[in-house]
Formats: sequence, structure tokens, C-alpha cells
Amino acid sequence: MRQIGVDLKKLLTLLILLPLTLLAHLNIAVSYPYIGALTKTVGGEHITTTVLAKGNWDPHFIIPRPSLIAKVRNADALIMNGAQLEIGWLPPLINRAGNPKTSPNTPTFLNLSHHIELINKPSEVDRKDGDIHPDGNPHFHLNPENILILANVIKEFLISIDTPDRAIYEKNYADFSKIWKEKMVLWSQKMSDKKGLKVIQFHDNLAYFNKAYGLSNIGTIEPLPGIPPSSRHTIKTIELIQKEQPCCILHDVYHSTKTADFISQKTGIKVVLMPHDIESLENIDNLASLFDYLTSAIK
Amino acid sequence: MKKILLSSTLCAALVYGAEVLPVEKRTFDQSKFIPDISLILDASYVDRSVKDDEAGHLELPGVAHGLLGSHSHGDSNHATYNANNGFNLNYAELVLSSSVDPFFTMDGVFHFSENGVEIEELFFTSNALGYGTRIKGGKFNSNFGYLNEQHHHTWDFADMPLVYEAFLGMHGINENGAQIQWTAPTPFYLMAGFEVLQGENEQMFGNETIGDVENPIAEGKDGPTLYVGYVKASYDIGNTTLLGGLSYAQGESRINHSADEENPHAFSGDAKLYGADFVVLHALDSYKSLKLQTEYLARELDGTQYALDSDANVIGSPAILKKQDGLYSQLIYTHDKNWRMGVRYDTILRNDIKTNGATVEQPSNLDKYTAMIEYHTSEFARFRVQYSRDNSMFNENGQREKIDTIIFQANISIGAHAAHSF
Repeated sequence: MRQIGVDLKKLLTLLILLPLTLLAHLNIAVSYPYIGALTKTVGGEHITTTVLAKGNWDPHFIIPRPSLIAKVRNADALIMNGAQLEIGWLPPLINRAGNPKTSPNTPTFLNLSHHIELINKPSEVDRKDGDIHPDGNPHFHLNPENILILANVIKEFLISIDTPDRAIYEKNYADFSKIWKEKMVLWSQKMSDKKGLKVIQFHDNLAYFNKAYGLSNIGTIEPLPGIPPSSRHTIKTIELIQKEQPCCILHDVYHSTKTADFISQKTGIKVVLMPHDIESLENIDNLASLFDYLTSAIK
Repeated sequence: MKKILLSSTLCAALVYGAEVLPVEKRTFDQSKFIPDISLILDASYVDRSVKDDEAGHLELPGVAHGLLGSHSHGDSNHATYNANNGFNLNYAELVLSSSVDPFFTMDGVFHFSENGVEIEELFFTSNALGYGTRIKGGKFNSNFGYLNEQHHHTWDFADMPLVYEAFLGMHGINENGAQIQWTAPTPFYLMAGFEVLQGENEQMFGNETIGDVENPIAEGKDGPTLYVGYVKASYDIGNTTLLGGLSYAQGESRINHSADEENPHAFSGDAKLYGADFVVLHALDSYKSLKLQTEYLARELDGTQYALDSDANVIGSPAILKKQDGLYSQLIYTHDKNWRMGVRYDTILRNDIKTNGATVEQPSNLDKYTAMIEYHTSEFARFRVQYSRDNSMFNENGQREKIDTIIFQANISIGAHAAHSF
């Protein structure tokens, strides 16, 4: 009798573990290319990643193409940036995919922003201040220290949904972490003479990058987040530049540089293209090359 | 004096008390469970080349009447969008949505207008079944075709495409019922859906008893009496997305105009609706895009037409067979986050009506041309100017009335951020 009880227990354990072993090759959907690269680094050959958004386009405005519904539908897990960066495009895709594994708050769903301390959280949330992010600035992956935190979060996430391969994820993370820390020292050296530099941006994409390397953002070309440039604000920005003497305009790759070029002409300061993600400029095909580029862009 | 002092201290205590105690510490506070709320205003200024009184009496011969202006149906008053020359408050749309529990979400869409409150949509959805299936129950816009599921304020023009409005009325297929959709496990998008609906579309589907219950003109059928099915597929080629769909709807039909002042009539029979839609979107960058959208609808109404006198007595009941089809095609250019513009062509291609087997001549060249330009101050406010030339309307003497319309439309939303579907 007791023997049967033990056998039953074994059988039950097997039944519970069976679906997990079927998950051995995980297909993980991620919202942005940087998350894809990080997940692939930690997951190695045990996972495949499906990136939903393209790296060279505005991460706030992704066209919710039906093909993306198919990608979410076929995923075993979903990792998103969060902090409302995907608010305008991801919810309907998840809704339509009919895939419980990609529903928020399930064990196979990961919102990275929950694991990062966000900066620039507005004390007052009102749309008269533009299309603001109430939880804080969502572009946190542009601080290389946060990349390490995120890699660790993704490692823990992968272990939680695929425990038998824990050792592999631990090792991949340890390898990555070692290389990344060495790179971070190099990047800090490269940026050491930039500390205290004042910069202008189009949108405050680089808040975390600036914080990491001591740059200070003194203004944006858009008058308020999500509100396109106006001539009145452009004149104000020119006056600000003449007064404060920032080094340059750090510009994203997806907005038109028309206004920035005009300001540059009037004030003589440079416009520097700053990629925000992998594939946003040619030759930026991994996380290290993204930061290599960012840390050598300001001359 | 004492009383005043006491009550003012009490008031002060209440006010300060409420301010001091943080939300987390209020014992039975439930404010964290407030659903996502948004409110959308749609208002317009209209300049139409026909008078309001006249507009309500115009018809698309053999297809529909009452597409413009406002009308009285017995006690209730019914107005189309942009009904009057001058200012119109089309509606305030209140949207509430939230998770219910781990298995369901619920969405409610309510239209407040000067004629009262309408439940546009109120449904629960579940993704919990897995395998790419999604179920929905309640009142909702059918996913027939491409445009039908979308709300008025997300349309690219202030009015509905002619063929849609003529066949289905300004709400399209908007019904009580249940829906199941399945997304296939394919690398490209492939979705099939089926809906069982009550079938109470004023313009095309219906199951009510017309006339006296004791001695009806047309006997009713108990619902549900409308069935809808569709297949949609999409494929990307670089920055171009193609989306195509085929849809079919079949149901009972009762069209009740027995209370009309002039030519009261009613129809009872079967209705079939076929739809084919095709959308191409080419994205030039994050904000700039070109979108071509075409839908073809064909319908068949087969039954009995009852001609009535002013006391609702049947004075004629010929068999009638209507085979009608039409399409719209539109091209929208989105320049940036501020500017969009577009043109639309509408036409009724076929309007074959047979009464007792004999063809009834119908006018041809029923078409409409529309152009619009929009300015968005932000994602939450849109201003649109639209001009249209409508050649499809006829007056009561059977004469064509070419209608020129200019509509200035304001669409303003507050509250939760709406996410857009494709």
C-alpha cells in the first residue's frame, strides 16, 4: 500500500515536471532589441527570442501589425520594458493573441521596469505637461549598470520558468557579467573628461546615460514630452544655448533633425546622433557596440 | 455661536482628516481598484448644401433611407452623427476597462448624447483558454470586415463609408451575443472567428414580430438569429503590412417601417452579407505612413415586402429579392504626429431588385467622394476638416440631390491612454 503511495507521488512529480521539460527550448517574445540581446546572452542556446519592435524606430510608437499578434501568440514567455513605454501598442497585441503565457502578472511574464529604480518620476501627473510617463523615465537601459541588473533579473526569470537548466543560465550570466564589468571600466575612462558637460536633447531619452557619466541635460527641443517642436520653444532653446553654452545636441535617430540642424546653424553647436537601441544605426548589432558608440560619440 | 464654532471645527477636522490620512492607511479604501477610465468628446460643425428638414427625407433608392439628419420613430428621437447644419454634439464616449479576475477582463463603452445614453459595447473577454483562442460575451461590435469593429472616433473620416451605412446603419453590426476567435500557430497572422448574435440590426437583420401579436404582418423568431464568420490573414514585406479578410453574415431579417408617416412598409425574410477587405500599410518612418483600405460588401435580401396603409393594414405583399453590393476605397497619408490627410471613394455597384420576379429599375451611379485633413495637437486632440460630394441621395420625388458637405470635427479625449489596434 505504502509502495503504491510512493509510486503515485513519483508519477505526480513526473506529471508536474513533464510540461517543464517540454519547455526545454523556450521561445521568448521581447518588446525591444536590447531585451532580445540580453535574453539571448543569458539564455544561450536554450532559448530563441522574438523581438517585436524594430530598433531604428521610436520605441513609443510601434505599429501594432497583425504579424506581431502571431509572434505573441506563439511565445512561451514575454519580457517587456515597462514604465508605460509600450502602453500605446503592446496591450492590444497581448489581448488578441489569446496566449495566457503572455498575460501580465503570470509567472511567464516579466516587466523589467519593476526591478529598476526609475528616475524623473513626476511629482504631479497632468497631460498639460505633455505625454509624460507617470512611473518615471522608461529609458533605463542606457545606463550600463542597469544592464547588469537587468541581466540578473532575466537570469532569475529564466531559472524560474526553466529550473532544470539553472546551471547554464548561471554560467552565461557570470560570463556576461565579467565581460560587461570590464567594459564598464573602459567606458567610464572614455567618458571621464565629459563629466559636467551640458547637453541638449530632442526628448530626454538619455536621462540614465547622462546620470551614469555626469552629463547634465539642460533642455529639450520638444517643448514637452511627446509635443512636437514649436517655433516659440525653438527660439527659447537657442537663447538657452547661447546663455548656457552646452557642448552639443544629443539627438535620437527617429525624429527628424530639421529643428536641431536649424538650432545648430544659429548657435554653432554640434548635432550628435545617439542610438537608443541595437540596430538603430548601422554596425550597432549588440549591446557592447551600442555603448562603445555612445561613449565615443561626444567628441 | 457655540454651534457654529462646533460645526466649523468638525468641518475642519473632516477636511484635514481626509487630507492627512494617506490612501494606503484608509481601512476599507478601494480606490486602487478603479478601472481605466477615458472620456472622448466628438463634436462637429456642419455645412450641408441641403436643409436639415430635407436631409432626413432623402434616400438611397432601394437600399436605405434616413442616412442623414434626425428622425422620429414613434416616441423616440434618433439622430445620425453630424445630423444638423451648424453645431452638433455627437456624443461623449465613456470607456471603462479593467481585469475582472485572473480569467476575464471587462470593457464598457457608453455613448452619452442629447438623446440619452446608449450602451455601445459592454463585454467580457477571456484569454485564459490558451491555444490562441479568445472568447467574448456581451454587447459588442462584430469583427465582420475591417471597419465594423472600430469605434466612430477612430475612423479616418467623420462619416461611415456609404456601403456600410446603407447596408448596416451607423453602428454597423453591433449586437448582443458571443464570439470565439482563434489565432493559428503560424509564423504569419491567421485568425478565424465565429459569432452568434441576437440579430437586431435596424437596417438589415431582425427577428421581431411586425404588427399585432394576435394577427401579425410578419411573425417573429426567437433569437439568436444572426451568425457571423470570418477569416483574416496578414503578412509583412519589409515595412509594408498586408491584411486581408473574408467575412460572412447570415440571419433573419425584419425591417420595420410600419410607423413611418409616408409609405409605411415592412420587410420579412432572410439576409446574407458577404464582405472582403484589404488593407496595405506602408510605414516610411516612425510617424510617416501611407495606408490603403478597401472593403467590398455584397448583400442578398430574400423575402416579402409588405406595403401598408396608414392604419398598418397590409395592402400588398409581393415577394422581393434584393441583390446589392458596393465598396469603398480610401488612401490616408500620415505626414507626422500633427498632420494626416486622406481621400475616399464610395460607390454602390449593384442594385438589383426583383418584385415577384420582375425587375424594378433603379438609378445607377450612386457614388460619393470625400477628402479630409487633420491636425493633432497631441495624441489626445484631433481637429478635422472634411469635404464630401454625395451623388447617391434622392428626394421623395425620385430626383437626385447632389449634396456637398463640409464637416469640422473635434475629437478630444481625457483619461487613460488608448492603445490602437491595427
